[in-house]
Amino acid sequence: MLKLFSRRRPPNRLSELSGMSLFAGLSRRELRAVGGFMHERTYLKGEVIFDEGEEGEAFYLVLEGQVLICRQGQVDRPVVTLDAGSFFGELALLDDAPRSAQARAAERCTLLVLFRGDFLGLIQSHSVIASKVTLQLARHLGSRLRNFAQGDAYPL
Amino acid sequence: MRIQRYHSGPVAWCVILVATCILLFLFQKILWLVVPFVFGLIIYYPLVPLQQRLVLGGMSRDASAALISALVFAMATLLALMTFPRIGNYLASWQERGPRYIEGGLRFVAETITWLEWNFTFAAKARLSSKLSEQVSALGDKLVSTYLADFALTVAAWLPSLLLAPFLAFFFLRDGWRFKKFLGRAVPNAFFERTLYLLDQVDNTAQLYFLGLIRLTVLDALCLAAGLWIIGLSSPLMLGLLTAVLAWVPYIGSIVGCLLVIMVAATEFPGDASVAYSAIGLFIFVRLLDDFVFMPLTVGRSLKLHPLLTVVMIFVGGAVAGVAGLMLVLPLLGVAMVLGETIGEVVTDPRLRARHAYARQLQQQTVTQDLPP
Repeated sequence: MLKLFSRRRPPNRLSELSGMSLFAGLSRRELRAVGGFMHERTYLKGEVIFDEGEEGEAFYLVLEGQVLICRQGQVDRPVVTLDAGSFFGELALLDDAPRSAQARAAERCTLLVLFRGDFLGLIQSHSVIASKVTLQLARHLGSRLRNFAQGDAYPL
Repeated sequence: MRIQRYHSGPVAWCVILVATCILLFLFQKILWLVVPFVFGLIIYYPLVPLQQRLVLGGMSRDASAALISALVFAMATLLALMTFPRIGNYLASWQERGPRYIEGGLRFVAETITWLEWNFTFAAKARLSSKLSEQVSALGDKLVSTYLADFALTVAAWLPSLLLAPFLAFFFLRDGWRFKKFLGRAVPNAFFERTLYLLDQVDNTAQLYFLGLIRLTVLDALCLAAGLWIIGLSSPLMLGLLTAVLAWVPYIGSIVGCLLVIMVAATEFPGDASVAYSAIGLFIFVRLLDDFVFMPLTVGRSLKLHPLLTVVMIFVGGAVAGVAGLMLVLPLLGVAMVLGETIGEVVTDPRLRARHAYARQLQQQTVTQDLPP
């Protein structure tokens, strides 16, 4: 409990954040602002991060390790495997729809979590960050759509 | 496909209501801490958007909290220096005028009863005016010597405790996010997303409530001040603000505020009862405006409570914890409601519990894999 009031600073994740496609173009100052809203979690191999059909309140960035995206329970047939630097669950930030797939840790991994409320607050109060992040989100969704149109099975 | 949101059933609601009453009872015992805590939150929430702007502008949270606190402290000091002489004079004149206002108010009541006795036989038979004059002469000296002295002593005793409020507000600004992350770290992965959502909801509810309360106070104060100025009373803004702050205590606060204005009206216009009646009319009008227009637009929107439940809980709060209960019951109920609904949602979800059990099993396997069975 006393650690809460210590002067210990949380680990600096600016270099990892700057390498993520979602935050491409953000200045160091903007990255620090975004990083302040993030929570760091560690998942063991095989642990469920979220289930298909579940209410989504946050999106995740892979800091270390790998994450499987699959249909509910079909771990042996993953739709895609995401490496460090990727992000997933971003559709939860855009609409109220349930999660479209299950996410599991393919190996021990560290994730950064950004909640919808914090994300919306961030883009409502900082137009520059908002425009840069939403542009990257739009590019990401566009590339997924393009891949789907070309027969790639990762439309989730 | 839309998500079916969880809604509390009767059992969850009973738990929420009982928990609110227990919390009220406990808080009543530590009011010296609860009241500055609430005032600290009232100072903190309007400053949060400003801090967020500074943080998004690149400033650290610690520095932004220090800067905002310094600015607010400087402004408060400046305001105090500018208004202290006037407030001091005003309070000094109240010390002298206080008994006169009480006397004026009682005279107004006596005149009203006399008028009733002249016009209605049932009132004449009851001989209310003679009974009242006996009570008044017995009460008059005691009221000034005992109750006013007690009131002054109570205010003096509370003052050091209230000075905690800005201190607490500074630490809410500086360490609030650390506390949120600290709580988040204690939550297992399976429940993390929903629990953090719960914390966010509690924070939002509290922020909407306290900001709504401030907006409501400003609207009330302005409406009352305008009405009192039109009626012709002295210091309308001060009276309006005082009565609007008194209205933070549901029902009783409004009645006390109304009595205060009637006393001032009856004393400043001794021969003209119409001014006091106009003040009563103004009060009723502003109360109606408050209940049907301002409240739903400000505080009511934050809590989303049924009006009947609101009224019943205010009475329950008064019965459990007196005046403090009247003030605290609605924000506490709002927080208990969000907590109860989300805990109910998490605890009653078998999938989340199964995921948590599986994660524990995985952890056990990981830490024992190099150990013989």
